[in-house]
Amino acid sequence: MTSFNRSLVLGLVLLVLGADEVAWSQSAQADDTASGKRVYISVGCFTCHGRSGQGGSFNYPVPALARTALPVEAFNAIVRTGPNDMPAYPASVLSDKDLADIRAFLRSLPGRRPAEDFPLLNQ
Amino acid sequence: MSTKSSDPRVASRRHFLKSATLTGAAALASPVVPVAQQSQEKASARSVPQPNLAAETQPPAADPVNQTSSGGDFMVDVLKTLDIDYIAINCASSFRGIHEAIINYGQNVKPEILTCPHEEIAVSMAQGYAKIEGRPMAMMCHGVVGLQHASMALYNAWCDRVPVYVMIGNIVEADKRAPGAEWVHSAIDPAALVRDFVKWDDQPASLQHFAESAVRAYKIAMTPPMAPVLLSLDAELQENPIPDRGRLRIPRLTTVTPPAGDPVAIAEAVKLLVAAENPVVVVDRYARTSAGMARLVEFAEALQCAVVDQAGRMNFPSRHPLNQTFRRAAVVGQADVILAIEMNDLWGTINSFADRIVRSSRPIFKPGTKIVTLGTRDLYLKANYQDFGRFQDVDLAIAGDGEASLPALTDQVKRLADASRRSALETRGKRLADLHQATREQARAEATLGWDSSPITTARLCAELWAQIKDEDWSLVGNGIRILWPQRLWKFDKPYQWNGGAGGAGIGYNAPASAGAALANKRHGRISIAIQGDGDLMFVPGTLWTAAHHRIPILYVVHNNRAYHQEYMYLQAMAARHGRGITNAHIGTTLTDPNVDYAAVSKGFGVYAEGPITDPKDLGPALKRAVAVVKRGEPALVDVVTDPR
Ligand code: HEC
Repeated sequence: MTSFNRSLVLGLVLLVLGADEVAWSQSAQADDTASGKRVYISVGCFTCHGRSGQGGSFNYPVPALARTALPVEAFNAIVRTGPNDMPAYPASVLSDKDLADIRAFLRSLPGRRPAEDFPLLNQ
Repeated sequence: MSTKSSDPRVASRRHFLKSATLTGAAALASPVVPVAQQSQEKASARSVPQPNLAAETQPPAADPVNQTSSGGDFMVDVLKTLDIDYIAINCASSFRGIHEAIINYGQNVKPEILTCPHEEIAVSMAQGYAKIEGRPMAMMCHGVVGLQHASMALYNAWCDRVPVYVMIGNIVEADKRAPGAEWVHSAIDPAALVRDFVKWDDQPASLQHFAESAVRAYKIAMTPPMAPVLLSLDAELQENPIPDRGRLRIPRLTTVTPPAGDPVAIAEAVKLLVAAENPVVVVDRYARTSAGMARLVEFAEALQCAVVDQAGRMNFPSRHPLNQTFRRAAVVGQADVILAIEMNDLWGTINSFADRIVRSSRPIFKPGTKIVTLGTRDLYLKANYQDFGRFQDVDLAIAGDGEASLPALTDQVKRLADASRRSALETRGKRLADLHQATREQARAEATLGWDSSPITTARLCAELWAQIKDEDWSLVGNGIRILWPQRLWKFDKPYQWNGGAGGAGIGYNAPASAGAALANKRHGRISIAIQGDGDLMFVPGTLWTAAHHRIPILYVVHNNRAYHQEYMYLQAMAARHGRGITNAHIGTTLTDPNVDYAAVSKGFGVYAEGPITDPKDLGPALKRAVAVVKRGEPALVDVVTDPR
């Protein structure tokens, strides 16, 4: 229910902001991605969202983050405020830079692919 | 233990013992008493009867060494009338009498002994077995230390509403207990330890008393809501000769017909359901026999309603178009009538709860939604342990066994829904079918995330496993962490294909309960599979030896995320909340350094094993080889290094 409401809000945010990508140079992006992966593991995002950002389950199913389409503001707001059972990570323990790197890492992951391409998912 | 004999060899040994005993007794008879107490004690000595020390310390007049019958034999006769196939035990001297009677007098059949290296394993095996077989297994242990080991598993069975037939050994008469272990292993009321979570218990004082209580215990355990029962067996009663077998009578067992709901209440419920726009069935520990699933399917199809299966039993086929389990919040949110069948935690199913600093909750159903309950839960609760969950106010509460009551509901739905109503129901059914299909598509797309990753995702694990078993007659007997992928990806459509969970969420259930269920499946030639958490296996690894020893065909696929992962997440959430360190949550929650080699552990117990498997490409072939072993009738284990969930 809340997740419905939130998607609505995020949808509006997306509309207002338009394109959400920050332009990075190729190599800086790779560095950020590698650092983001390290932080994503060390601060425990992976415990609930999976190492591949595939989602998981905590008190209820946890959303996938791989190739997240959330705009940066919305992404940051979620991590800082922690909706429902998502823990809020304050800046005192997770810097803005680390958070940006985490997002870069998640954006670099492959998203959902057509299940038709996977024989094991067609049985 | 205290029967008499006139054997002369015994007499001469006794003569020696007699003088030794008397010497000791004489020393004891003159204790040093403080002077201040002496006059007072002299006075009371006159009025209080003195113990007859001579009589108590005399050797028995006769001291036999053989006997031709034992109370245990009669107990076995009684157990045979109850048609109990197995008795899972961890051997213990306090039940050596009946143990010997089972193997020699009873020839180790009905019941046959299952050797378990922990009492918790014995109880959980019985729990898993009963859910597949539909009748109880017995378990037996020491009344004190054994029952202490068994207690958590008994709590699981209690919460899960499963019959387990527990017997414990005790030595009731103080003067019959040898010094040492027999004293520390005796209690005046051993069942007190578990009375909060067994339905009934007794400590029979005679063999006739045993016969009646044994039959009563079975009857009570099998009456819904089912639960464990316990008999405490005095060692003297088990071991000593039967005074007069001719006078003993074994009562006939007649099990109780499960109660069906009141017809007037059922008619009222059906009226609400047929008139509803969006009726929803939520169901948990419903299917009690192999008929349960088909009855629910017939009911749901008659009403064309959404079904949300909380999976306490194999209630509803996973790919049935009306199965809306993974759309719970949406269907409950739209419901105008909710029928809750054999739900334990109805409140938790239709309310949301926030695990935040300030805990809050709210209904996920609309105001005005009518709620009807059907089940035996309201008939029997106890106070101390809070397994009954939060109180949910409802509009109509029908006491009755779900399975026994459902045919009446189905008949009335069919009668009440006229042609025009039926076409509306069909339209609803089609809409639900489309939504079910969309949910399945979503699951398949989500399963592709991290497909080639190592550690292996649980989605990939379940897809690989499904490929190996889908053409077999399979049964998923355990899924300790309740990962959802099997229900999201596999086709469950037979009543034995899922066996529910622990009940009390007590860790150490999954490995042994799965073995017990696999034993029940064995006679039907089914392949049993357990998705086995590493943390759970660490509690009860000896289960693997029992599976090997008793040739139980089961495939354990270790979901080895190298952690008590649920706790890891909770700790991570705590750390984020407290904002003073978010990189330490692995401390005390993970099972690394060293990593456990479950394949090596398994081989050590005599079980075929492969792993640790880290590359998803190796998984399919390993599972295939392991399934071949299970098809030969033996256990096998594949250790898969997995991502958390
Ligand atoms: C203890 C478990 C847990 C941990 C740890 C955790 N999350 Fe979450 N996260 C959740 C849950 C649960 C939700 C869904 C919240 C809801 O109900 O809306 C969520 C939602 C999110 C979302 C919104 C996703 C969407 O598309 O709706 C983002 C983004 C997110 N988490 C990022 C992170 C990041 C980054 C970290 C690490 C810094 C992290 N999470 C750590 C449990 C967790």
